[in-house]
Amino acid sequence: MLKDITIGQYFPGNSVIHRMDSRFKIVLDILYVVILFLANNFISLAVAGIFIFMAYGVSEIKPVMMFKSLKPLLPLILFTAALNLFFVKGTDEPLVSWWIINIYQEGISTAVFMIVRIICLIVGMSLLTYTTSPIVLTDAIERLLSPLKKIKLPVHELAMMMTIALRFIPTLIEETDKIMSAQKARGADLDTGGLMKRAKALVPILIPLFVSAFKRANELAMAMECRCYRGGEGRTKLRQLKAQPIDYIISLLMITVLGFVIVDNIVFV
Amino acid sequence: MNIIEVEKLCFEYPITDDEGNVIGGNRVLENIDLKIPKGQFLAVLGHNGCGKSTLAKHFNGILVGNSGKVFVNGTDTSDDDKIYDVRQTVGMVFQNPDNQLVATIVEEDVAFAPENLGIPPAEIRKRVDEALNAVDMYKYRLHSAHQLSGGQKQRVAIAGVIAMRPQCIVLDEPTAMLDPKGRKSVMKTIKRLNKEFGITVVLITHYMDEAAQAERVVVMDSGKIIMDDIPKKIFSQVDRLTEAGLDVPQVTQLAYELKKEGVDISLEVLTEEDVLKELKHLLDK
Repeated sequence: MLKDITIGQYFPGNSVIHRMDSRFKIVLDILYVVILFLANNFISLAVAGIFIFMAYGVSEIKPVMMFKSLKPLLPLILFTAALNLFFVKGTDEPLVSWWIINIYQEGISTAVFMIVRIICLIVGMSLLTYTTSPIVLTDAIERLLSPLKKIKLPVHELAMMMTIALRFIPTLIEETDKIMSAQKARGADLDTGGLMKRAKALVPILIPLFVSAFKRANELAMAMECRCYRGGEGRTKLRQLKAQPIDYIISLLMITVLGFVIVDNIVFV
Repeated sequence: MNIIEVEKLCFEYPITDDEGNVIGGNRVLENIDLKIPKGQFLAVLGHNGCGKSTLAKHFNGILVGNSGKVFVNGTDTSDDDKIYDVRQTVGMVFQNPDNQLVATIVEEDVAFAPENLGIPPAEIRKRVDEALNAVDMYKYRLHSAHQLSGGQKQRVAIAGVIAMRPQCIVLDEPTAMLDPKGRKSVMKTIKRLNKEFGITVVLITHYMDEAAQAERVVVMDSGKIIMDDIPKKIFSQVDRLTEAGLDVPQVTQLAYELKKEGVDISLEVLTEEDVLKELKHLLDK
């Protein structure tokens, strides 16, 4: 169960998407979300969808990974679809009418529309984390947010915290698995019983996990001090972020899609 | 020329009551005097809780003694203005490799220390490649740390320290959490750094066979240095080591037992070859 989490997972590669400046990737990803929410008909949605799947195609990430990123959010997708399917009222006669359930044609189309929109959203987001190493990602966030240092926002510290959090996700997942096995070996019952009982069964897992996390934090802080860490001041970076022609070309493509969606919205109101 | 000089160092961890008031001290180090020459491979031996890790933390100013002084290349480690010079000169590697790696990708972790030192990017790249080559992990530079084995992770941690170009590395039980294969690879790396790169090595350990590979062994017990000599001389004193709660290497143990039975054999044996030569010599007589 724990191993299915793909958020923050990075697959090294050398595709166009991998080589893009991560600052551009983040900004373009946000722009893409805007596009998805501006799109109000199937044509613009299709254009946005084709765009992201083409990007996925050139990224050399295995298509299987796309489905993996969708899997944990499947309940959300189905829930949204069901809500729209049952509660959107149309003007014509309902297609299916049974007991209190009325399904209209508009309901079906809205449901499909929402499903496609959410899938595009998740695929777009996971494309960012799949093709960008977490450090580069936090680096880019640090740089994008650096103007906020003026209003005393601890930008470097936040980026460092993210880096470390990402680094320790696999380690702590492994540790959780170990603790679970250890508690099961002592007869802990984690898989049966009602909700309350299961929640209570988590306590003997969480407490050792927290204790060990604090211990790790302590040791890591010492190791960082030994390696001369003293905050963001005067720090340099191994990787330099530099915008290349490809970044501008892809940005231009994205802006074209945005332009198309806006025009499309005005024409087909 | 000594790289580290310890003079009359005492240290105690404060003991506090329930309200956080200091009510006493738990003395861990007692009047330690130690000089470590440049380029030496020194092993510090001792059983758990003898103060060897606490001593190690004084070598780069992580801890500062209650009394006495520690000098690194002549610089006092209690001098806050020069603490980063001291830490760059004396690098430190800890027991658990998982808790020392900061970044997800190997080469980005190795770059952490040079980045902190504010070195230009092109030079960082050079140092990272050099450091990864020195520990023989260059081909793993783009792997994520959690995919590596324990020994490999520990070698990456060593590379992360080497990238600062330190003159001395202190390793605090670097092999305690590793399997035999990982232990071997880490020991090989440590010896290589000492021989080929001339880096002073201080190896804190409780494994006798590791200490036997050093040039000089310091044995600690209850916060004091009780023995300080070359490995052969140390391990031949089986009684004193046993008193300090330590074992001796198996071959030395064999020689010791033989001697007790009245066989005329030297106790200054550390390796299997040594003991073979001694036994052959005896049989020839």
